[in-house]
Amino acid sequence: MNNSRAKNLWLLIIPALLFLAAAVCAQGYITKVEDSGFEKHTRPAVSFAHDAHNEAAGIESCNTCHHMYEDGKLQDQASIGMECSSCHLDGYSGRLELIRVYHLQCKSCHLDQKAGPVQCAQCHRKEE
Amino acid sequence: MHEIYQLASGILVWVALIVFVGGTAGRLIRMAITARKKDAVIYQYFSFYYALRSILHWIIPFGSMSMRARPAMTLVAFIFHICLIITPIFLAAHVILIAESWGIGWAYLPNAVADIMTILVILGCLFFLLRRIVQRDVRYLSTPGDFVLLLVVAAPFVTGIWTYHQWSGFEIAGIVHMLSGELMLICLPFTRLFHMALFPFTRGYAGSEAGGVRRARDW
Repeated sequence: MNNSRAKNLWLLIIPALLFLAAAVCAQGYITKVEDSGFEKHTRPAVSFAHDAHNEAAGIESCNTCHHMYEDGKLQDQASIGMECSSCHLDGYSGRLELIRVYHLQCKSCHLDQKAGPVQCAQCHRKEE
Repeated sequence: MHEIYQLASGILVWVALIVFVGGTAGRLIRMAITARKKDAVIYQYFSFYYALRSILHWIIPFGSMSMRARPAMTLVAFIFHICLIITPIFLAAHVILIAESWGIGWAYLPNAVADIMTILVILGCLFFLLRRIVQRDVRYLSTPGDFVLLLVVAAPFVTGIWTYHQWSGFEIAGIVHMLSGELMLICLPFTRLFHMALFPFTRGYAGSEAGGVRRARDW
């Protein structure tokens, strides 16, 4: 009985670890900010080299960007692997709200740090 | 660049809005006081019916004789003014920036439509510029300030389409876009651009006099 419960536990843990490893590795290959919440784009998608950005910006903790809130409180755990739209699309006006939080996430940090793009066209570059 | 962006998208927006709203209100109040002193009789014969009748005829394309006499000017002027007012209010990028700052939002135009409307505003400015140079009576009435004012109106649209299409130097164009838009709002109550707020009063005045005193049409 005990043995089978342990086996069941491993059946849960192993895929979870694999998923986490895949998610962490996949970050390195992220080159564009894409979200299934955008059915159609108002502007071209933003190019974003995840690892290079974080190295340059000195970001070490995942939840600096991948934040997780519960009852309005910032949690220690990170929301890795989740799209922003999974929380932020149920706001007051749908797609505009999603655009708003994406901009606040990137732009307000760039303005605080006085580094990185802030104008529309600096991020939403036309395909070259 | 971050400092100037922050300035242009922050405090200067407030300065521009306060000068625009405050200046407009102040000038309209002063106009009412001056009229009371120098032309008090207008308060006697002012009529909402004749005022609205006149305004209505002058905001409908070709609704007045003078508009029918100059069809090209009428067409350009209507297209120009509609695009000038609608484009900035319903531009996607502007609606998004307002949503970011104030948490309110409304529907916005497709980019391609806004693009065409911006080009129409710029072409309108070119038309008015040529008209001031070529047409003799208009040239006679033009002052250097009128030409500067045309530039003030054209600048936010030229730099806006420039930064949208990411033509070379678009980052500078983006900053100039914000600053020139603010400059236009600041200029509005203190220049010829004030016809935006004066229009209903000048028409109302003429309409009341034509309808109530002369018993004639003023369109």
